[in-house]
Amino acid sequence: MDVSTTVFAVSCPGTPITGTRTLQKERQLNQFLAEIERRALRIAEIGVRDRDEALDLVQDAMIKLVRNYSDRSHEEWAPLFYRILQNGVRDWHRRQAVRNRVMVWFGRKSSDDNDYDAIAAAPDPAGRAPDEELQNSEAMQRLEAAVYELPTRQREAFMLRAFEGLDVAGTAVAMGCSQGSVKTHYSRAVHSLRVTLEDHRPEDWGPEGFKR
Amino acid sequence: MNEPDDTFDEKLKATFDASVDELDAATLSRLNRSRHAALAELQRPRHQWSIWMPATGVAAAIVIAVMVVQIPAGVNELPGTAPVTDMEILLGEDSIEMLEDLEFYSWIDTAEKEGDVG
Repeated sequence: MDVSTTVFAVSCPGTPITGTRTLQKERQLNQFLAEIERRALRIAEIGVRDRDEALDLVQDAMIKLVRNYSDRSHEEWAPLFYRILQNGVRDWHRRQAVRNRVMVWFGRKSSDDNDYDAIAAAPDPAGRAPDEELQNSEAMQRLEAAVYELPTRQREAFMLRAFEGLDVAGTAVAMGCSQGSVKTHYSRAVHSLRVTLEDHRPEDWGPEGFKR
Repeated sequence: MNEPDDTFDEKLKATFDASVDELDAATLSRLNRSRHAALAELQRPRHQWSIWMPATGVAAAIVIAVMVVQIPAGVNELPGTAPVTDMEILLGEDSIEMLEDLEFYSWIDTAEKEGDVG
């Protein structure tokens, strides 16, 4: 019964896919997406600086992965997912650029995200949260601002390698470039971040990031 | 003195991971809904047109190619021209002098038909 169902599902792509094989695939995809979704959201959020937009981008990437690449091997999913997500982030920036040009044309103030001011966006140290939480939040704000200020390709390489933990080959697939380019972008990103964050570092790094 | 890149990376990642762990319940709920919406795609039948699209494209290309090849020669020529006839005259063995008096011979031909000559 299981075998015939599986064969039927494979031979008839126009029908809803059912059967043990599909259930197994669904479980694998569910596990993969559950493992990746929170980091993916934060990576997208750093890329667009808006959580709601980032949530939409992550959902689109999930749907496209399942729709188009669910038949690929499990090892390919992460690079493919992040390739879709990074394309979504780039498209979002293009749309924003067009929208801002239109707004300027109609005389409205542009809401260009490139005008982001890390200092102005830093949390108010007015004691609204416990010290530890505040310090961690400040550290992330600075890190986030510094990463956002990187050139696009450097930002992508850094987030995929350092935050998501993809290897060089996987990052190359996700970025659609050579492994050599990934190494170059990543190296430059780390150098830039080191210079930028050195200025903001209060005293020294602690075990959980910035010193607490 | 700068620390090794590996240590620097690890500390940045630790900061990032801490921010991931602090995501609020509402955000996690939205992620959960997004994941289930994506998984629902597995149960959705694929579009039939996507299966036939490559074959349709090839068929359309063949039809266009056949149409281009089958267009009769001379369709776009101006009315009144007779290129084949001109070539016959130029390549023929008739005297070029006759061609110089073409208007005269044309008048004779018209007159004979009307019975004015002879």
